[in-house]
Amino acid sequence: MSSEPIERRVSYLGDRLRGRRCQICGKEYFEIRDYCGNCGRKSFGKMEDIDFFYEKGRLELCTLVNEPTNKFTKLGSYIYGIVSFHNGKIRVPGRLTDKIIRNGETIDFSSLEGKEVVPRFRRRYSVERSEIIPTISLTFTFADEYYPYQEYCVAKPNKEYDAPGIVGYGVYTSRFRIREGGIERSVPFIDEDAITAAVEAGKLALIHSGVDSSLVGKVYVGSESNPYAVKPIASKVAQVLKLGEEDEDVQGVDAVDTEFACKAATSMFKDAASLVSYPKMGVPYAMVIGADNSQAAPRDCPGGELDFFVGYGGCAYIFGKTDVIAELEGWYSCTSDTPDFWRRDGEPYPMHGGRFTGDPAYFKHIRKAAKKLMDRLGLKPSDINYFVAHQPNIQFPVRIARELGFKEEQYMPSIQVAKFGNTYSGSSPVGLAAVLDIARPNERILIVSYGSGAGSDAYSFTTTSQILEKRHRQKLTVKYQAENPFLEYVDYNMYRRLKAGM
Amino acid sequence: MGNRPVIVAAGRTKFGEHYEKQPERLIEEAWLKASEEAGIERKDLEACYLSDYFLPITNKLGLEEGFLSELTELHVPMDVVRSFSSAFSNACNAIQAGKYDIVLVGGIEKMTDRWDKIRDDLMLLEDPWSYYAGCTPEANHELMLRAYIKHYGISNENLEKLNIALAQISVKNHLNALKNEYAQFQRKITVEQVLEARKNARRPLGLYDFAPISDGASAVILASEEAAKRLTDKPIYVLGSASATDYLTFPAREDMTGFTATRLAIEKALKNAGISLWDIQLLEVYDQSTVMEMVSLEDLGFCGRGTAWKAIFESCKDYRGYYEVNGKKLFVNMNGGLKADGNPLGATGGAQIYEVVKQLRGEAGERQIKTDGGLRYGCVLELEGFGTKSYVHILGGGF
Repeated sequence: MSSEPIERRVSYLGDRLRGRRCQICGKEYFEIRDYCGNCGRKSFGKMEDIDFFYEKGRLELCTLVNEPTNKFTKLGSYIYGIVSFHNGKIRVPGRLTDKIIRNGETIDFSSLEGKEVVPRFRRRYSVERSEIIPTISLTFTFADEYYPYQEYCVAKPNKEYDAPGIVGYGVYTSRFRIREGGIERSVPFIDEDAITAAVEAGKLALIHSGVDSSLVGKVYVGSESNPYAVKPIASKVAQVLKLGEEDEDVQGVDAVDTEFACKAATSMFKDAASLVSYPKMGVPYAMVIGADNSQAAPRDCPGGELDFFVGYGGCAYIFGKTDVIAELEGWYSCTSDTPDFWRRDGEPYPMHGGRFTGDPAYFKHIRKAAKKLMDRLGLKPSDINYFVAHQPNIQFPVRIARELGFKEEQYMPSIQVAKFGNTYSGSSPVGLAAVLDIARPNERILIVSYGSGAGSDAYSFTTTSQILEKRHRQKLTVKYQAENPFLEYVDYNMYRRLKAGM
Repeated sequence: MGNRPVIVAAGRTKFGEHYEKQPERLIEEAWLKASEEAGIERKDLEACYLSDYFLPITNKLGLEEGFLSELTELHVPMDVVRSFSSAFSNACNAIQAGKYDIVLVGGIEKMTDRWDKIRDDLMLLEDPWSYYAGCTPEANHELMLRAYIKHYGISNENLEKLNIALAQISVKNHLNALKNEYAQFQRKITVEQVLEARKNARRPLGLYDFAPISDGASAVILASEEAAKRLTDKPIYVLGSASATDYLTFPAREDMTGFTATRLAIEKALKNAGISLWDIQLLEVYDQSTVMEMVSLEDLGFCGRGTAWKAIFESCKDYRGYYEVNGKKLFVNMNGGLKADGNPLGATGGAQIYEVVKQLRGEAGERQIKTDGGLRYGCVLELEGFGTKSYVHILGGGF
């Protein structure tokens, strides 16, 4: 059994990599210390908070762990070492992640030592299914590999917009892929899940937006693969990313998880936009995250058809009214009680309604939401530069786009399912991000999500000039992740093992 | 040291796996040997200082003091600490303070009973943050070796020599253990075997570089100088005893190429004893790994920083039973060290002291060392955790 207070203390420090610095002598600690060991009593009240969550470190020394302690056994072999930050002022133990070390593979340690690394937020080790899932950021990847280092600089807001909209976004997928049936799908590393993807995506959105995390007043996390039936992902996101004002280890932010199959996140776009629009609410920014380690039963089991399409990833959007990159022009949502896809409580994998998942489920709702919104705003397909639809496979979004009158150049840029698989709550948000990565100012984007059960949210966004100004802060673009030279392809057995996680 | 504490007797069990023996049987065996040697009875004990690292966890025992009170049917003061040296040092303090005349220092560990979980326990106790990050009981030794190689810029031919020197440490310790009836491993190994094990492990260190997991017990009877006169005609004096502490988290320490705590402890212990380092020719160091034995020679001051591997390499080319350092003979880990004698944590320090006592008395049988000017001093180095605590005891006898 995990101890609740111990777990809380360990993750409070370890997830965010918090510490203190003595303002007198400059000594740094990976610990919340009230005084400095060098300066003693006179340093009381002179210790400032630091963290190295957004920093780049250096792998000083490393070795191979191929006989781990019991809790790490599921990881297989890994590289463990010592990482320094702030030019060696702080040294911490750390594990390199995202590396599958095969039996018999030898590692040249000196070729790795000295390289720059960045912290990754991951599961710490494996526990029983009933226990609290331990997480930590003492896990690292190389700064010049799949995840490039990106500095987090809080930018002073320049311009207030009339309409609320997207201020920044981040897409997080894994380094691993499975290639089958003409498509590639992202596969989580064994220490990743919906929680870790949500936190990483949120971190990237903060970096891209330049928004001060303490000004985020609400965070929504939509997922259908939260490893907990009861316990929000949003609370982890809020604590690790320090959303809202921090006071006595508590974040002044409202954090909530939402569930509506694959539209759990997009559903909250309007809520986030509304919240930031009312000055009296005092919420300058709201974050919406969609993250899933999309679940599917093994192929020979009922519901196993999904196993050909599921992916992994998270996507985060920050809404606000300052320095908006895409203004929200209007929305329309529709809902019906259509039982096309479901997962009963306690069941590990979802089931779906076979041939009815297309019509009347997917197509009917997307068609309805898209048409209604276009009617409301008086838009024709030719008024829209990009069309983004939920993408459980390639055929569905292509078919609905064509039916609605969109041309290939309008809908193809958003279709990412062939690169990442169906990322469930992150599916249409990743499509939107792919478009935002390339859109010019003053372009219109129509996004229509779909969530089984069933419903669709349609939104129209128009881009602003700021989309170009912020682009240099978006290193981890969708294209970069799709065509990355550091991608590693795994076979079916490894894919199931990694997906099952620790 | 005024009112010098005297070791009047020492006893121990064989180290290894004692599947069939309960912990009480082991401590009883060590105690019986020591008490018989001293010719004392249980009732003569005024206090008991005991050590085990985690017996209550590994063996689901209650409060150890109560367990031992029941076993010995004694109600004297008892205290349990985590290492034999810690218990020994407390006992010395009490005797020096004139509080007691005869005390028992005992240590016990039964690790193999928790074989499946022992490495997690060891690592969590060694340093939780390293554990959470994925460290193993072996990894820090390997990282220290990496730090050593990098810091001293050892490469090519020298690196090869360093690796062989580390292997030679293990070979030498196994060789010594051949003559130790209590040792866990009484078999010869070769440099090739050590190197091959590293290659198989694909790591800087392999199976033969590390001390094993062991069961065992040890006991020492400590007396005031006055009482000792009645109990033995071969008193072994505790001339100096000191300890020092370092950070729990190895990566957070300033120096990763050795153990600062040892450097501090030896300095104080020598001062206590009023002798010079080079008066010492017999050493029992804490070789939880071959790297630990190497850096300990530097930490204690026998070898310059970054040079111990050279001395070891040269001495072991044609090993004559000792290292040659600074033109002097240095006898290290004559019982086989932790590597071959075994390492039942709470009892290990007792076996180290036992060895020095036997050697100083000239009772080490086949293992008995011969020094040029006669053997007078022996030194014991015991560590707790990964160098988190360091204890140095300087013992003297044959005066």
